[in-house]
Amino acid sequence: MNAITVTDLHKKYRSHLGRKTAYPVKGLSFTVAPNEVFGFLGRNGAGKTTTIKILCSLLKPTSGAASIRGVKAQSRAARRLIGYLPENPYFYEYLTPRETIDFYGRLRGLSRTAREEQWQSISDLLDLRPIAERRVRGFSKGMRQRLGFGVAMVGDPDVLILDEPMSGLDPVGRRQIRELIHLLRERGKTVFFSSHVLGDVEQICDRVGILVDGTLSTEGRVSDLLHRRVDRVEITVGGLTESKAKSLAKSASVDWRRSGAGDCFVVDGLEKANAFAQRVLGAGGVLREFVPIKVTLEDIFMEEQEPAA
Amino acid sequence: MIVLAVAHNTFREAVRDKVLYVLLFFSATAILASKALGWISIGQDIKIVKDISLAAVALFGVLIAIFIGTNLIYKEIDKRTIYTIICQPMRRFEFILGKYLGLAALLALVTAVMTAVASGYVLVLGGTLDATFFLAALLIYWELLLLTALAVLLSSVTSPILGAIIVFTAFMVGHATSILNELPDHISGVTRVMMNGAYYILPNLSNFNIRAEAANGIVVAPSYVAWAMAYGAIYTTVLLVLASLAFEDKDV
Repeated sequence: MNAITVTDLHKKYRSHLGRKTAYPVKGLSFTVAPNEVFGFLGRNGAGKTTTIKILCSLLKPTSGAASIRGVKAQSRAARRLIGYLPENPYFYEYLTPRETIDFYGRLRGLSRTAREEQWQSISDLLDLRPIAERRVRGFSKGMRQRLGFGVAMVGDPDVLILDEPMSGLDPVGRRQIRELIHLLRERGKTVFFSSHVLGDVEQICDRVGILVDGTLSTEGRVSDLLHRRVDRVEITVGGLTESKAKSLAKSASVDWRRSGAGDCFVVDGLEKANAFAQRVLGAGGVLREFVPIKVTLEDIFMEEQEPAA
Repeated sequence: MIVLAVAHNTFREAVRDKVLYVLLFFSATAILASKALGWISIGQDIKIVKDISLAAVALFGVLIAIFIGTNLIYKEIDKRTIYTIICQPMRRFEFILGKYLGLAALLALVTAVMTAVASGYVLVLGGTLDATFFLAALLIYWELLLLTALAVLLSSVTSPILGAIIVFTAFMVGHATSILNELPDHISGVTRVMMNGAYYILPNLSNFNIRAEAANGIVVAPSYVAWAMAYGAIYTTVLLVLASLAFEDKDV
């Protein structure tokens, strides 16, 4: 059974006077497998937060369905299965982290002993003890984010839904979050998170979905997405005259430029690059560099944002 | 229990807010300053002190009910603290009820403290206290419960400013609803029907006002107090049900 299933989800907003209608989510469908780390990508306004809010019962969908481990997403039973970290989480300013974790434990119906155990394990994991008795009011962004993670973990839910968990964090904070997500996966949890930090997503996700204008434009395993594209190869060659290099480039329809290091050719695809390298060597060239240029998630992301021709 | 957890948290947040102590300070000052009006009413000073003290308890209680109550749900949405609450395995009405009960507990504390200050002051001035004085304080608290329920309803559907205006208007009109039912003959037709209708819809807050009896030491029948409390409880329940229904499908 999938950890998360979203089928033909729509969300429509009307302005107060009902004249304007916005569709932040239109016909969205995807699944997240158990124990998977799923990166939910998209530009601002693409519908990521709206989808997450529907999964967490903050918004009601206009139509379509969403479920958590087969349980309807808007139900109490589904909410018991999820832990949610909103973007820029806010907590009661006058409470301390210890009181905050205890409060959420009470909302989950945990006994006093269970709540104490939760505090012990969560505070150890997130290093909350040094700030245990400080009020949230003066907390930095990183401290709030750590506490937010702690709140999402109260009750040991199976599915963690994180909205931009790395936004605004410094490199150390981002690394901590990455390690935490790895740890959660090791513990058998499913992590569904939205992010703009594509480098981090590439490192920690099993699968990603790219959302464009409320619908999923691309979805798949990160490794498949990165390797299914034709790689480009940069070939640097010495020992050719300028005219020879130019004619080789023209005959093979590849980009060419001359620099201090030699003649540089950019060839699409590994096979074509190999064949071209053989021709260059046959023409008396000396191979200096053969560098495949890998497609990054950012390249794919940017490609998906371009309007279809 | 989830409702109690929310109520406890609401109470704890409120008592840690300095604004509450500022309001309490002004309330205590108003009670102590009531003696000044007592000086200009020869031989009536204890009556005046009792009357003004109870009026101060009511007024500052209403101010707390309005300012905290109309912000109660709105602030949670505006500050986004609600995001991590509503996604918990709880029902939305439990949140509304918990927030309401937390504020009701705070108002109980505030009313008790202010009544204690007023009682102590009356005794220090050589006056005596009877049951009516405390029943008057109890009915003030009951009125605050009703107004708080109205504030919570408005807090879940509108902005705090508009909510505060409506609650304050309801407070003012609620103490003069008899005007709506005892209209002069020249008012007729639709206007008369509407004003009569408003009489039955608006809360009749004068039911909770036995301050004049308390100041003058007039005994009030327990059955009247019980009736007023039952009226308040029914009205409050209806308002809380409406607040829960308004919040049930709200996108946050």
